[in-house]
Amino acid sequence: MSVQPKTPEITNDSMEDRLYTVKYDDPGDSHLDVKVPDICADCETNDCVSVCPANVWREGDDGVPHIAYENCLECSSCRFACPYDNVVWEYPETGSGVTFKHG
Amino acid sequence: MSPALETDTPDEPNYDDAFDAIVVGAGLAGSAAALTMADRGLEVLVIERGSSPGAKNVFGGVLYTPTIRELTDFEDAPLERYVAERRFSMLSDEDETAVSLRPGEWHREPHNDSYTVLRGEFDEWFAEQAVDAGATLVTETTVTGLVRERGRIVGVETDRPDGTIRAPYVVLAEGGNSLVSEGANLKETERRENVAVAAKEVLEFPERDGVIEDRFRLVDDAGVSYHYFGEGAVGDAFGGGFIYTNEDTVSVGVAYRIEDAVAADQSPEETLNAFKTHPAVAPLVRNARTVEYSAKTIPEGGAESIPDLVHDGAAIVGDAAGLVLNNGVHLEGTNMAVESGYHAGNAIARAADRDRTDADALRAYPDALEESFVVQNLERYAWMMDAVEADRDLLFEDLPRAFADAGTEYFRIDRDPKEVHAENAKHAVLDALGGWSGAAKLAFRYRKMVT
Ligand SMILES: Cc1cc2nc3c(=O)[nH]c(=O)nc-3n(C[C@H](O)[C@H](O)[C@H](O)COP(=O)(O)OP(=O)(O)OC[C@H]3O[C@@H](n4cnc5c(N)ncnc54)[C@H](O)[C@@H]3O)c2cc1C
Ligand code: SF4
Ligand code: SF4
Repeated sequence: MSVQPKTPEITNDSMEDRLYTVKYDDPGDSHLDVKVPDICADCETNDCVSVCPANVWREGDDGVPHIAYENCLECSSCRFACPYDNVVWEYPETGSGVTFKHG
Repeated sequence: MSPALETDTPDEPNYDDAFDAIVVGAGLAGSAAALTMADRGLEVLVIERGSSPGAKNVFGGVLYTPTIRELTDFEDAPLERYVAERRFSMLSDEDETAVSLRPGEWHREPHNDSYTVLRGEFDEWFAEQAVDAGATLVTETTVTGLVRERGRIVGVETDRPDGTIRAPYVVLAEGGNSLVSEGANLKETERRENVAVAAKEVLEFPERDGVIEDRFRLVDDAGVSYHYFGEGAVGDAFGGGFIYTNEDTVSVGVAYRIEDAVAADQSPEETLNAFKTHPAVAPLVRNARTVEYSAKTIPEGGAESIPDLVHDGAAIVGDAAGLVLNNGVHLEGTNMAVESGYHAGNAIARAADRDRTDADALRAYPDALEESFVVQNLERYAWMMDAVEADRDLLFEDLPRAFADAGTEYFRIDRDPKEVHAENAKHAVLDALGGWSGAAKLAFRYRKMVT
């Protein structure tokens, strides 16, 4: 008899598959940016990258994060996380951005 | 969407002074304020940036309804299930030790005023109640700033063409990401130690019929609220995991402090995935399909983080005012949002009767809030954050493991007498606590949780 319980099957779909992201219009301009790229280039923590639940902030070659803003869930974590207050966070243009059906 | 809620797209959005009050945000706090003011005869405009109320909102979710039920006819509200069981689990990396409550009283109306809801539906319904009471709602409109004259707030800027709208009172009900309040220097940006990041999924079961009822031991409209903390939930972070049952979906998520999230070696999404695969959680979400992945922040600064609630011409309510209680056992924000919206709405109606808009005339709002459960509860647990911080390793790592060890020992079947097992079990817990004196100190530190 087997004594080791098997972990039942769990679906962890890829991020792209899981986003219920209705972009109800063209996303328009990015609502996210960095204020001073030089600060990012010197920033070792990249807290914006580690906190983002949607993999929007990605480490860039030059130390300045690449921002895949169209995946943003508008949670605002990156805004609070950056220790240098270096995140520009605006609301996406009206008519764009994420829509949750359930919330 | 009901006709009343259809986006109003005025060609000439000239609403100047057509309204007595403007509410920024049609979440729970905003709709409660709008409903209260409309009931008292004020002309109210609610501005919501989502395509409909709730379209931008995320919560866990149990809606706590003592005030909302007083404010409106609750009969046809889109509720999912009432909470019939609350369960608290300590998770080590592979063990679960749980305490569960299923009081008979919770099966009877009003079900302890605790219902699971989905915000996409609920917020739209609640906003509709405000509209039925006479409020005007515009959606797909973002408030970008406040208009001030001689220090007094006299209206809002929106991103519509010619989007300035003036009114004597503005209620800021914009939630925890309060760009408008912060931009107008009505509050400071919350420090990241006081904000949690939450990642959540709504899961559906392809084999539908009775799956939720069977797995969670439920009949009819009964539902559960399961809370998990400890190493197996979100590592050594201050926070936890949760599962709530909806009518035919399940909400699963994790929420923990941003301070801990940036220190962790996994992203919130990975933390959620790990939580879903914990041996205690996996069987509950087995073979489920994700129908929505979402995320949001929770302001958890407590009593000390509440900003000035009233200004000349404006009041701040709900999450924008930091009104969320999270002490590990209670996670309440919906009731606080509604209560604050109600008191703010009342205070504005009273000030309007006297033709006054200054902050002093609105003091009835903070005064009432201080007398209410909102501020009293927040103040009661103000000590918690520091205590938990000091005991972090003990609470999230050592104790979950010690309780699991103690339980395993206590019920161990071998050829030793029970006395030996009981003694070993006692030691597993006492060692983790640092002996009897450690246990006594801990009990003293957390006595306010039960006294
Ligand atoms: C993961 C998670 C789990 C939670 N679980 C629970 C729980 O189980 N029980 C509980 O009681 N509480 C819970 N809470 C807390 C609860 O969700 C909040 O306290 C509550 O939703 C606050 O309501 P609100 O109206 O203040 O803000 P919100 O619900 O955030 O509403 C703000 C509204 O304002 C709109 N808005 C924002 N800015 C603008 C602008 N500039 N212009 C126009 N519109 C704008 C938004 O689109 C939104 O509709 C949880 C929170 C999270 C994140
Ligand atoms: S944490 Fe702030 S400073 Fe560092 S990379 Fe991210 S945005 Fe730039
Ligand atoms: S708001 Fe949230 S989802 Fe969007 S980029 Fe920032 S952390 Fe990521």
